[in-house]
Amino acid sequence: MSVPVRAADGGAAPRAPVVARRGEGGPVSAVAAALRRPVRWPAYAGALVVIALLPIVLGTPYWRGILVVCAMNVLLAMSLNLVIGYTGQLSLGQSGFFAIGAYVTTVLLKSHGWNFWLAAAAAVLAAGVVGLLLAAFAARLRGHYLGIASLGFAVIVYQVLINWESVTKGVRGIYGIMPPPPVALPGLPEISFGNQAALFYLVAGLALLVYLVLDNLVRSPIGETLRAIREDEISAASLGVDSARWKAFSFGLSAAIAGMAGCFYPGFVGTLVPDAFNIVESFTMLAMVIVGGMGTMIGPVIGAVVLTFLPELLRGFGDLRLMVYGVALTLVVLFMPGGIVQAARALVARRAQGGPRA
Amino acid sequence: MTALLEARALRKSFGGVRAVEGISLAVPERAIFAVIGPNGAGKSTLMNLLSGTYQPDSGELLFAGRQLVGLPAHRRVRLGLARTFQKIRLFKQLTLLDNVLAGFHIHHRIPAWQYLLPAAAFWRDWTRCREEGMALLEFVGLADRAFERAGALAYGQQRMLEIARALATGPKLFMLDEPAAGLNSAEVGFLLQRLIDIRARGITVVVVEHNMDLVMNVADHVFVMDHGEYLFQGKPREVQDNPQVIEAYLGGEFVGGVAA
Repeated sequence: MSVPVRAADGGAAPRAPVVARRGEGGPVSAVAAALRRPVRWPAYAGALVVIALLPIVLGTPYWRGILVVCAMNVLLAMSLNLVIGYTGQLSLGQSGFFAIGAYVTTVLLKSHGWNFWLAAAAAVLAAGVVGLLLAAFAARLRGHYLGIASLGFAVIVYQVLINWESVTKGVRGIYGIMPPPPVALPGLPEISFGNQAALFYLVAGLALLVYLVLDNLVRSPIGETLRAIREDEISAASLGVDSARWKAFSFGLSAAIAGMAGCFYPGFVGTLVPDAFNIVESFTMLAMVIVGGMGTMIGPVIGAVVLTFLPELLRGFGDLRLMVYGVALTLVVLFMPGGIVQAARALVARRAQGGPRA
Repeated sequence: MTALLEARALRKSFGGVRAVEGISLAVPERAIFAVIGPNGAGKSTLMNLLSGTYQPDSGELLFAGRQLVGLPAHRRVRLGLARTFQKIRLFKQLTLLDNVLAGFHIHHRIPAWQYLLPAAAFWRDWTRCREEGMALLEFVGLADRAFERAGALAYGQQRMLEIARALATGPKLFMLDEPAAGLNSAEVGFLLQRLIDIRARGITVVVVEHNMDLVMNVADHVFVMDHGEYLFQGKPREVQDNPQVIEAYLGGEFVGGVAA
């Protein structure tokens, strides 16, 4: 069986498998197929509707809180996927960037009296710059070595948060952090982000925007360049690709997005302690990317949703909860090595093949 | 005839091994320039020095009068050098078309903001790349398989795809490292015709090769190396007749080849 057009990268709107049309013959139809532009706006419209309905369907404060966490996890999983799935660089330092986003925002807000939005912008920038610095190492390291080095980065950030007490308050943590300040748009009632539905709309809306930007990016020549680096750096160099530069781009952008998720975390929880950014978080994000399907746009989104809601749905198991979660995770990786997205595509392809014959 | 690429006393050692020992050569413009020599003669090292995968220990390398020594491989591509690899290095998980599209890396002219929000210039570039990409696949006879994974191709087809991908960079000088290795005779014939077509497009070709049929049929100039050093150069016929070359490298096998 052959693979449809860019199967690895099909995003929200799967395209018709061109291979099925190959019977029509030669290069002319192949050129026509190559020139068929993807249409994805219906998928975005659908996503908007889903986001709008979610806090209404899941109406209790508890589930709305889970929704906010889920939107943050979607941002984090997408950010990690850019580096791992598209650029092919194993990074385990994502919890560090998440932490930088959270702490820079909170410290500027609480200790320096900055406006939240300005503090958040500074935090996104700070995380992005640190990402660029980490990329300087990434350009020299490969595979497992890069994994260890980036894990080291996450450990360093965690230790700094614990030990730099004059700024971070150490393990005692920072308390009484307010949600983002209300926004008053002309002609509309004031939006208060103390309301978790409003906070969800804000974070989920940003996540959708980030999805749109990344989706356009990975389908553009930049995406072609990143995938070239992922597949073979020496080949990429023979086509004029400066891998060090493009890895820096990928790490920087990924770190900034993780930092963006971090901005909203402290105001949502109300307190900020280093343990929220333990290196285990990096692996949770990695699990989201792998379970969903790395190197696809929609995969990490699905992974983040599943791994956010699964532990909640398993609460009925009481103390066995984490064990069931662990077993479920292992089974997914064992039987769906390409993640949920690839398993779903294989299923659809099998149906499409079996259908006409039956 | 002016030289497009000129090497002067290039040297490269790995530890104690002198892989390339004082090679000087001049590749004339719009020619097919073949480099031959027995295994271990330093041909692939020379190729890697020309393309920038390695930097020489000493010596000079001029491309259209410009010094190349010190320039990394990816910068040389922008000057108009392209190459293929002896051991095929495709993006195996990507489709054929996506492999070729990656080759347009240095040729995109899109305002930065249109990468986030595609508009007219983006779609112009998008269409042009796909048209040219399909034309290149057509050129190497693979257009009807544009949407298959590159890893699914047979060996000889993978070699042709690598050629299409390298041509997408729009080279002035195209270097092929043993393109006929592992090809059957029909595929060698196809390759031979394509090399002539590439030269006809005004592209200078450097080919490192073992396959004598290919070299003797298409090369304008043959450069012979042995043990990292220069041995002889000239027209294919002169190389064939040179006793030094026959003794050092070609031996009985080659004489038999001529007779046949």
